[in-house]
Amino acid sequence: MSVAALSFQGVSGGYRRVPVFKDLSFSIAAGTLCGVIGPNGCGKTTLIRAATGLLPHISGNIELFGQDTLKLPAIQRAQRVGVVPQELSTPMAFSVEAIVAMGRTHALGRRGMLSAEDHRIVEQAMVYTDVMEMRKRPFPELSGGEKQRTVIAMVLAQQPRMILMDEATSHLDINHALEVMQIVERLNRESGVTILMVSHDLNIAAEFCDRLLLLDAGTLIADGPPAEVLTAERLRHVYHCDVQVQPNPISGSVMVTPTPRLAPAHSGQGTRVHCIAGGGSGEEVLRRLHLCDYSVSCGVLNEGDSDSQTAHALGIQTVLEQPFSAVSAEAFVAAETIVRDAQAVVVCPTPFGPGNAVNLDLALRAREQSIPVFLAAGVTERDYTPDRRATKDAARLIEQGAQEWDSVADLFALLQSRGTTA
Amino acid sequence: MIPCPPPEAKRRSRRIVALLITVGALLLVFCVLSGPSGFGLPAIRTRTGYDILLLRLNRIATGLIVGAALSCAGVVFQALLRNPLAEPYVLGVSSGAGLGAACAILIGFGSAFSLFLLPVTAFIGAILALLIVLAVAGGTRASVYNLILSGVIVSAIASSILMFLVTTARSQEMHSVIWWMLGNLQPATYGQMVITAVVVVAGILTAWLIAPQLDTLTLGREAAHHVGIRTARMTAVGLVLGSLLAAAAVSLAGLIGFVGLIVPHVMRSLLGPGHRRLIPATAIAGGIFLAVCDAVARTVLAPRDIPVGVLTALCGGPFFLFILKWRGRRGWVE
Repeated sequence: MSVAALSFQGVSGGYRRVPVFKDLSFSIAAGTLCGVIGPNGCGKTTLIRAATGLLPHISGNIELFGQDTLKLPAIQRAQRVGVVPQELSTPMAFSVEAIVAMGRTHALGRRGMLSAEDHRIVEQAMVYTDVMEMRKRPFPELSGGEKQRTVIAMVLAQQPRMILMDEATSHLDINHALEVMQIVERLNRESGVTILMVSHDLNIAAEFCDRLLLLDAGTLIADGPPAEVLTAERLRHVYHCDVQVQPNPISGSVMVTPTPRLAPAHSGQGTRVHCIAGGGSGEEVLRRLHLCDYSVSCGVLNEGDSDSQTAHALGIQTVLEQPFSAVSAEAFVAAETIVRDAQAVVVCPTPFGPGNAVNLDLALRAREQSIPVFLAAGVTERDYTPDRRATKDAARLIEQGAQEWDSVADLFALLQSRGTTA
Repeated sequence: MIPCPPPEAKRRSRRIVALLITVGALLLVFCVLSGPSGFGLPAIRTRTGYDILLLRLNRIATGLIVGAALSCAGVVFQALLRNPLAEPYVLGVSSGAGLGAACAILIGFGSAFSLFLLPVTAFIGAILALLIVLAVAGGTRASVYNLILSGVIVSAIASSILMFLVTTARSQEMHSVIWWMLGNLQPATYGQMVITAVVVVAGILTAWLIAPQLDTLTLGREAAHHVGIRTARMTAVGLVLGSLLAAAAVSLAGLIGFVGLIVPHVMRSLLGPGHRRLIPATAIAGGIFLAVCDAVARTVLAPRDIPVGVLTALCGGPFFLFILKWRGRRGWVE
């Protein structure tokens, strides 16, 4: 068995010729239990659809056990690969047994009959997944867990060499999800069926898979054993959220838990941070800073601006200007006084125009006093000043040691590494 | 270990089948006995009596063919579209067939010739309507909702054109088109009946052969694809098959509504959704249902003849509303 169960070679795939993933290459050896993880919209489900030829890929080559997936006849494809979807539904009241028997569709004879052998296989599949007692019950009336077990029985009856699971446990509670995973794991260990599972549940993926593929925005970020792929640093980058990764003593794998925002390691401990925001660009930063116990100030903002409303709601000290007016000298001086006392200045991804570009001078003053400044990257695209003043100011800020950030998670990492100690 | 369903379930389904056969046979006898000339077997030895009996048998045969075709088309469309309200009418197929057939009548190729032309023009109309519906909805991979929406619209357009043709036609032709649009089982020529019967039987047989695929397609195209069905091809085959059956029925008896809705639902609730049994059972039950409706239609106001389409619509309308409501509660689809 040297032929890979599934191989992608430079595959781009997506809808209406807009690629969801680009130039993806990997191969999965027969007999492995492999997981595909990644945030929403990273191309996981599209990948499964491409693998089964349901969604013809745009370029590259996909092979199932050495054969081009698009050239495989439907029956041969079904003998190679079966799919457990997130949810299966039929509007008609087919019995569990009838649904499981649909897995034998590829074995139907010329007259559309199943042989005694086919019936035996169907029966075996029902025993394996423990749906035998409910074989006569209408499928639409089953609970979510029972339905998924029935669907797995259907795929088992198909007797494929590889099973693709498309978030097959995401609608189930912990108990039923584990039950389904144990059936799948047993299948893999006992019968050598290759499993490729797409999952949102990092812990289930870490516990059951031999190998994980981490996708982000359609590209393969990491590929290897769970303990290698699941690192806190990488997950923070991909999921834009802080996590802790600890060894799981029971499974021998790793365990991923989101870090609570108010955990001590995260607390701002009253560090004074001044935010330069506007137009709603600072809402999340203000809220998160406030939640994490930073002492936040903000300005200069126009009255009625959505950031000023957020600041007001959170009780954050704010320097305000009249609505729809340029920042006046008085307001600037007031803000400068606050900045002088701050321990860090955060510049949010705010659009800058002639009216508020002067706020960047606040950040420059802060640098003059060696106060750390954290600048949201990409000022150039948000610069609406006629003389490109904001772009120039941003460049000067970087020159003087301001640090750039992309996501709020990045910002917090920066604030912790430098902001509190500076 | 060979599977063997619990004996009580098997006995129950056998009992239902036996009951259906008995009731069906009794109903057919009722059809033979009833007519505008009075209830009872006509005196076969007299010339008139013999003609009356022949006339009744003729209408029963037409009813059986048309009812079987319409209900079988309903079953196929309901499975393919996964929608309890799907019917030849919903897809615009019947209206298309009607428009095609009406063109043949109105252009008036000479009555004898046009009788043979009717099924062909009806089928052309049905297929054209179907192609337009599919093109608008986005091919055989179109979503269920797109398909039904465009079906309703195409149906409305075809009906409008039909109405326009009728109002601009001469009065005698107009009468025959209107009578035909209401649906009736007036005996057509034997030739046309035989042609239609052959088409309908072949269609039902084909539907029976693809029954397991129809079962699986109710899981949706994606799941059906994964268990090894060439979904685009199978859907196309099914849709053409349904259109062919509907066109055959329309060309023989005009626009008769709701048979394709009522009969499949009743039979499905009695026998379960498996198409292997549902298709032959629905075909037979549909035929008998229409024959009985016709027997009632020709006796109630004797000697006047009510178009049978009026009667089926009277039964079917409320049934449609009932399913619409029931579906909302039980989540029949998706």
